[in-house]
Amino acid sequence: MKTQKFKRPLAWLSFIALLAVSTLSAQVRNLTEDEAFFYEEIDESADVYDPFESVNRYTFGFNDYVFSNTVQPLVDAYTAVTPDPVEEGASNFFHNLRYPVRLASNLLQGRFKGAWVETGRFAINSTVGIVGILTPADAYEGFVPINSEDFGQVFAVWGFSEGPYLVLPFLGPSNLRDLVGFVGDRAVNPLKEPFSVIDDWNWEWQLALSGTEYIARSPQIIERYKQLKNSAIDPYSSLKNGYTQYRRVAVAE
Amino acid sequence: MLSFLKKTLLVLGLLAGVSVSAKEAQKHKLQGMIDAALDVIYSDTYASLSVNEKQAKVRETLESGYNLDVMIRYAIGRNWRRMSEQEQLEVLELVKQLVLKAYVKALDGKDRPSVTLAELTETGKARMEIDSIVVLDAKTYFLVYRLRQMSSGWQIYDIVAENVSLSSNYREQIDDHFRKGSGADLITRLKDLLAKDEFNENTKI
Repeated sequence: MKTQKFKRPLAWLSFIALLAVSTLSAQVRNLTEDEAFFYEEIDESADVYDPFESVNRYTFGFNDYVFSNTVQPLVDAYTAVTPDPVEEGASNFFHNLRYPVRLASNLLQGRFKGAWVETGRFAINSTVGIVGILTPADAYEGFVPINSEDFGQVFAVWGFSEGPYLVLPFLGPSNLRDLVGFVGDRAVNPLKEPFSVIDDWNWEWQLALSGTEYIARSPQIIERYKQLKNSAIDPYSSLKNGYTQYRRVAVAE
Repeated sequence: MLSFLKKTLLVLGLLAGVSVSAKEAQKHKLQGMIDAALDVIYSDTYASLSVNEKQAKVRETLESGYNLDVMIRYAIGRNWRRMSEQEQLEVLELVKQLVLKAYVKALDGKDRPSVTLAELTETGKARMEIDSIVVLDAKTYFLVYRLRQMSSGWQIYDIVAENVSLSSNYREQIDDHFRKGSGADLITRLKDLLAKDEFNENTKI
């Protein structure tokens, strides 16, 4: 009877002690798991091949200077004097003009549905949308905007690797594959050299068109660049990683 | 036997229900936190605060729901071990300040964005992703919040903005830094960045 009297509290004490030990060990295990988690590799780890880093950093500095001191004041003036709908219309117009690039890139990747959607959008926006200034195709089922394709993505699908990371003067981040793709994009663009369909265009007109396109496309790019620069510890590394992640997803999609 | 099976199934069903609603609760918590942080920047209640005060208030709001150290530790990765304990604490604090400063600055002069949380996806053991659609200045952006169950509860460890993982982006910057620099250099760099383009104490947005 006496033993029984002692046994019950002892059992409870043992149970509480066991519970405390197991809770403590679970906490320790969780903390260790937390630590292990912090050291794990990140899925989107960009791991960029950058053998020309010193030259790239120099070009990045040059671009940053040009962006901050020339392009940004121009873009600020452009956005200040241009009402938002006009700004958007100009951006739509130049996007519409790049239709041949998107069409060829979709076809060369075997994306026939993409080619169909791009063709439908081009037809609707060029006519109903007044030479692409408006985008009425957005309202048509089956012709909503899709991701833009380019020759860099075509080469990726064909199995070419990215090659070294490059920073191009005035154009910004790229890699060898995208640089070759950029040349391909220009080759199928009927308004751009080397195969422009407009023979009697002199360089002044070409420059004016390219310059206007550059400025019309810049507000969004500048905005993103500014945000990246404000939050970056090393803007060069941040842009390199951001560009590479973005392009890899574009290729995978 | 049948009754035992029924009871077991009922218990399992209840447990599954509790687990699902606990995850849905995370979605509500996140939405509440985002709205509260935006309120600090846009609501009339805080209109009299300076930029620095708003930054502090945004931080307080975010930290009331989540441990921001988790995201920064995840971004630092193995480089954490290359710093002394003092440096670790200082880097955590400075990176937090840099990110918050950029967040508040990014919204400067813009209309209040609308943020709608969409699908919640379980991505693995104790991990989930919450999609969100952000409309800012008539443009739509897609953001994904990545959460993991830590010893301190569900915590955000990464934000993927327009297909770019912020943790991966910071990890690369910090990896690049530690290839040539030290923890002390990183602290100097962060202090320089925070001092540069410092908001005037009384600036209002």
